[in-house]
Amino acid sequence: MSQEYDSVELVGDSTVSQFARAVVVAALTAAFAQVSIPLPGLPAPVSFQVFAVYFAGLLLGPLWGGVALTLYLLVGVAGAPVFSNGAAGLGYALGPTGGYLLGFLVAAVLIGAIVHRRIEPRSLADVSLVVQAGALVAGLVAIYALGVPWLALSTGMGMTKAASVGMVVFVPGDLIKIIATLALVKGGHLALE
Amino acid sequence: MLTYEPDDALAHALDPRSKLCFQVGFAIAAFSHPTPRALAALTALALAALGAARLSPRRVLFSYRFVLLLLAFAPVSAVVALQPPWLVPERMVAPALSSYRVVLVLFVAGAYVRSTPVRESRAAVQRLVPGRTGQLLGVGMGLTLRFFPLLLGDVRRIRTAMDARVGSERSVVDRAGRIAVVAIRRAFTRADRLALALRARCFSWNPTLPELRFARMDYPVTIGGLALALSALV
Repeated sequence: MSQEYDSVELVGDSTVSQFARAVVVAALTAAFAQVSIPLPGLPAPVSFQVFAVYFAGLLLGPLWGGVALTLYLLVGVAGAPVFSNGAAGLGYALGPTGGYLLGFLVAAVLIGAIVHRRIEPRSLADVSLVVQAGALVAGLVAIYALGVPWLALSTGMGMTKAASVGMVVFVPGDLIKIIATLALVKGGHLALE
Repeated sequence: MLTYEPDDALAHALDPRSKLCFQVGFAIAAFSHPTPRALAALTALALAALGAARLSPRRVLFSYRFVLLLLAFAPVSAVVALQPPWLVPERMVAPALSSYRVVLVLFVAGAYVRSTPVRESRAAVQRLVPGRTGQLLGVGMGLTLRFFPLLLGDVRRIRTAMDARVGSERSVVDRAGRIAVVAIRRAFTRADRLALALRARCFSWNPTLPELRFARMDYPVTIGGLALALSALV
């Protein structure tokens, strides 16, 4: 059924390199979902997954950052063990923590849109650190704005309880990750061109 | 963990598109009717789906145990009150029903995961999403799947190397940033090699896909999925 035997139509060079980057960022999101640093004195360990979301927005821009996170979600729904703790499937994506997954996609697009303000990513050195900090915070807000109501809705717990279980315990770790990302940007470590 | 396993079960013979349709329809039905009667009917359907994929419910529950903890928290915490009487069992009903429907969706999704190789889902995505977007997403899914174990290995090696050099003495911000930046640098090096390899192999908009074809059983499953989705409107 619907096999194609037409002549070959090559993909353009710049699309290929952006696409390859989106693929590795999608795979990195999956790898980071399996890794965390335990923190003495904090209720939740620092998971690395949000780093990949920040990198997707900052380094790939709104379009390809969005493609990266879409690929991550599709591969997970298709059954690859890429969600936290090696989970997979549509059931997990629609489960109590599914809002965060959708939030990751929205956050990557939002961060890319705020920082680059066009499809093609520009050099991070040309964007002020304040704008980048604002973009990361906006991304974090988007993740919780989708994640917490979804958690409340799917489990039937109230919004206050959902916010305390699904947000408050993670905020210290999230601030650490934003500070770490900005330190990387400021030190020029993310100038990967 | 739950993942694809080759078998000659009924669910394995179905087309991924009809299974996707059924899954989505089931989820819509479960989320729009959290009543005991509807959930009882859906339970039977979910168990039938598990049977079709030869998957035991206990295995699904075990592989999603972290999700179950979160699902169990809502009804349990709703029972506890801050003033006498300290326990109010009737407040448990609504959150328990909400959580239970998610368990049913996990069952049906588990059946899909066990009976569908990722390359078939990829072909389904490429067929269902029109044009070049579908092509890129399809190829991207296949490549992401291949790069995931490589990058996971990279990240683990970075952590081991850091621990070997007493990196655990550094502050958390410093540690997290270092691991993240080394990981993204290695990933981008891999991306450059991947882009070169794709160009060298004439990466095109119209590659040949694995063949997908509806068999006789696919039609009732697809219609069942559509009916379940439409039941939300009733």
